[in-house]
Amino acid sequence: MSITRRFLANWQSILALGIIAGYVIVALSAPWMAPQADPQHPVAMRQLSGVRPSALYTPRPPQPGAVLGTTSGGWDIAYALIWGTRPALRFGLITALLTACIGVLVGAFSGYLEGAVGRLLMRVTDAFLTFPAIAGIFLFRYALLSVNTDVPQTFWQVVWQKLELSPTMLALITFSWMPYARLIHANFLTLKHTEYALAAKTIGVPPVRIIFRHLLPNALAPAIVLAARDIGGMVLLEATFTFIGMGSGLPWGALLVTSRDWIIGTGGNPLNYWWVFVPATLTLIIFSVGWNLLGDGLNSALNPRGK
Amino acid sequence: MPALLKFLLRRLFAIPVTLLIITATLYGILMLAPVEMRAELYMPRGSSNNPNNNPERIRQQIIKEHGLNDPYPVQYIRWMGRLLRGDWGWSPGFRDDVLEALLVRTPATAELTLYAILLLIPLGIISGGWAGAKEHRAVDHVFRVAAFVATAIPPFVLALVLLGIFYAGLKWFPPGRLSISEHYIVTGAGFTPYTGLLTLDGLLNNRPDISLSALRHLVLPCITLSMVHWATLGRMTRAMMIEELHKDYITVARGKGLKERLVIGRHALHNAMIPALNSIALSAASLIMGVFVVEVVFSFPGVSEVVVSSMRGAPDIVAALGFAVYSVLLVLPVMVILDILQAVFDPRLRDALAEQ
Repeated sequence: MSITRRFLANWQSILALGIIAGYVIVALSAPWMAPQADPQHPVAMRQLSGVRPSALYTPRPPQPGAVLGTTSGGWDIAYALIWGTRPALRFGLITALLTACIGVLVGAFSGYLEGAVGRLLMRVTDAFLTFPAIAGIFLFRYALLSVNTDVPQTFWQVVWQKLELSPTMLALITFSWMPYARLIHANFLTLKHTEYALAAKTIGVPPVRIIFRHLLPNALAPAIVLAARDIGGMVLLEATFTFIGMGSGLPWGALLVTSRDWIIGTGGNPLNYWWVFVPATLTLIIFSVGWNLLGDGLNSALNPRGK
Repeated sequence: MPALLKFLLRRLFAIPVTLLIITATLYGILMLAPVEMRAELYMPRGSSNNPNNNPERIRQQIIKEHGLNDPYPVQYIRWMGRLLRGDWGWSPGFRDDVLEALLVRTPATAELTLYAILLLIPLGIISGGWAGAKEHRAVDHVFRVAAFVATAIPPFVLALVLLGIFYAGLKWFPPGRLSISEHYIVTGAGFTPYTGLLTLDGLLNNRPDISLSALRHLVLPCITLSMVHWATLGRMTRAMMIEELHKDYITVARGKGLKERLVIGRHALHNAMIPALNSIALSAASLIMGVFVVEVVFSFPGVSEVVVSSMRGAPDIVAALGFAVYSVLLVLPVMVILDILQAVFDPRLRDALAEQ
């Protein structure tokens, strides 16, 4: 059976594709599902209009005009969930793919090159494994977004501004690639002693070509699986960081920030104001489950162990 | 057991290299910023965030005095020297010596991490092992769904819902580390902080009520942490368990009439948990990351306070950098503890590593 057939034979993979397709459809059709008031200046979150500002403090239950109700401050939940899909997908895809690329490159070179360079790369990998990404966010934020206007920007700060990535994303990429490196490294250690790799080496194929042309395609499967799972995981992490004030403020997480007091301070029944957190949480959970299922489906399709 | 000792020594020798690589990276990140940013690291004690008190003149003087326009390796070595001497800089936002502020808050974080690990390891290994032993049965399905949800649920929402039910509603488990009145007892004259871990100190000072209260404050943060990290360990144990149960020695053990409980509990689980423990040792950093998140959500006065309070005011690079360096120092002991656990359970690893 081909990999595609094996992948599609699994009902979990179909479910995963369905979930992800659902989010992509919402992302694409956002302008029709929740029209922007001013398409020239799109906003990801909108406040209920036509109400006194002081009346916005208490969350409003689902009603016409705000299908899923509003959070404290009058933020329309359905609107933010719909418009938050694009930045969430963008964040997850960019972060996971860049992380995977770095990890795969480090793993491939450290696995193939023997001697000092390979060992050094693995040492660096192991060292980075001891660093919690959350502790790097502030460093990146202060180093790259210096608010001091009287100090001229450095070269890197200008580059940074042009790239329009968030410090959270950069911290996550810089400090999450190690599992990929370890997986690829382990695969390379066995693959480089296979006969076809030795044959290629014997007839004088340059190392870079052996790595990318001959070994990498055979070693990549576990990294693809991990990357699929990471797309959901990274978005979940970002929402968590946003909640504790360290994130880049994507709408899904930002929505939940406003719900804090309405979960705790409601006399012991967190469901009194269920709409302030249940829809947003389910959006996050289903998003993450979708990518995890995709990872599982890819895993059983790419490594058909015992089948 | 000298073999185990050798294994541990090898692990300990790797620590300085790790620290070197991480600090070099962190200082490298700082090199992306304007030189004025790095001058913050050398501000005199007692200085404030107010730009009127810190004129440009002082900044330029610091830059010249400490050679902050020198090449990166020179600057890095100088800064490293200061770190090793215990001079981590003065945080203007936090109005305290950074290392001092971090050290004072360490016991709280250590206590939280310790109890979370104590809860999470048995939970992960037993549930994963059980599910693996009953593959494709009801228990296994329940486990897999639960593990899926556990990895997907945002930890802060879980924390808030727990607080909503058990703090606001039932009033069982409050947030924070101690109530205010108990905090005065602990910081007062009659109470000796032997270890800094309140659950232990309470007993040592003959105040079991303090220990009990500290435990009550730890319940929700520990549950939240375990719920988030249990699934990784459980899944790994389950996968390993399934693999082990297909091996020949299990067939032999069953063939000679060993009770199924012993086959699974003693033979298979023992071998399945070793790679699982290794996987959790490798994710010690994400465990500490979870600890920081939980500290903020439960207003637990641990080390993350240093950076969280710094983020409300002006950029406080000193606190951010100190926190980053320090977080590695928090992860390393957790890794070593998990390594020891793994080595204790795995004689193969112990011997193989010692022979190298």
